[in-house]
Amino acid sequence: MSGSTRRSWTGAVRERAVGALPPEKLLPDSQPAYMASWIYIFGVLSLVSLMLIIASGVILSLKGPGWWHFTGVGHFFNSIHLWSVELFFFFMVIHLWGKYWMAAWRGGRARVWMTGAVTFVVAIPCALTGYVSQQNFDAQWISTQAKDGMNAVGVGAFFNVTNFGQMYSYHVLLLPLAVVGLVVAHILLVRKHGIVPPFHRFDGGDLPVVALAPTADAREASAGGDAAPASRPVSGAGAP
Amino acid sequence: MMAAIFDLNHPAHTVHWHFFLMTVSNIVVIVVMLVVFAVAILVPFPGHGRRGAAK
Repeated sequence: MSGSTRRSWTGAVRERAVGALPPEKLLPDSQPAYMASWIYIFGVLSLVSLMLIIASGVILSLKGPGWWHFTGVGHFFNSIHLWSVELFFFFMVIHLWGKYWMAAWRGGRARVWMTGAVTFVVAIPCALTGYVSQQNFDAQWISTQAKDGMNAVGVGAFFNVTNFGQMYSYHVLLLPLAVVGLVVAHILLVRKHGIVPPFHRFDGGDLPVVALAPTADAREASAGGDAAPASRPVSGAGAP
Repeated sequence: MMAAIFDLNHPAHTVHWHFFLMTVSNIVVIVVMLVVFAVAILVPFPGHGRRGAAK
């Protein structure tokens, strides 16, 4: 495109997106060496749990309450859905603790922290609307208990937990859209800013990185008996 | 129908101490989360030593 040609909005969006997230940042093949700790796996475990939730939820919504209440396979998928949610919150809370104690909002990562925190807050009503959409006595009990809480904070007229239609719409569409949208934004922001370095690395200096899979150079070096280092320095990786 | 692993046909067991009131099951989950958190920090990640030596 020549300089005199008027730029289209699609081109502008593309240039801005690639500028913010170039392919090597969006899909990296190496990570900082300080990520070699179990505490860094709870984010991706939360993500896997969310994928299981969505997959099992899609199947439950296709088959309906008669299936999930009265057939063996339906019970199984109902349980998959429930325990994926339990694991989602379990892993998300440990992820939150880990990121809190490493002050993961450092180095211009405030939006990463905020999208994660808001995801946690939005996931709570997403789970609640699921508990009240089960179509059983358990759901009735939970909804009649929850309505007092909703009325106490003044939102009962807008968010009526005894209204099955409203709760089911929230559970299968509105809140999952919000959670997935926030998670996508969270992951893209993590890719953009990088994983927060440990405190003693927070000096903006060179940080070693580790390839996620052996590179062609490393394979050649290994085949030739050369003791190539598993990590290489990248200037400014993860720097504030 | 298979019986539940735990007998759920009774009100939940709770721990009640002054203002603190929580079901035993919730306390168990929180304790397990704390244990997993501690283990994740303390247990070395596979290959960590090898990578560290290669720096």
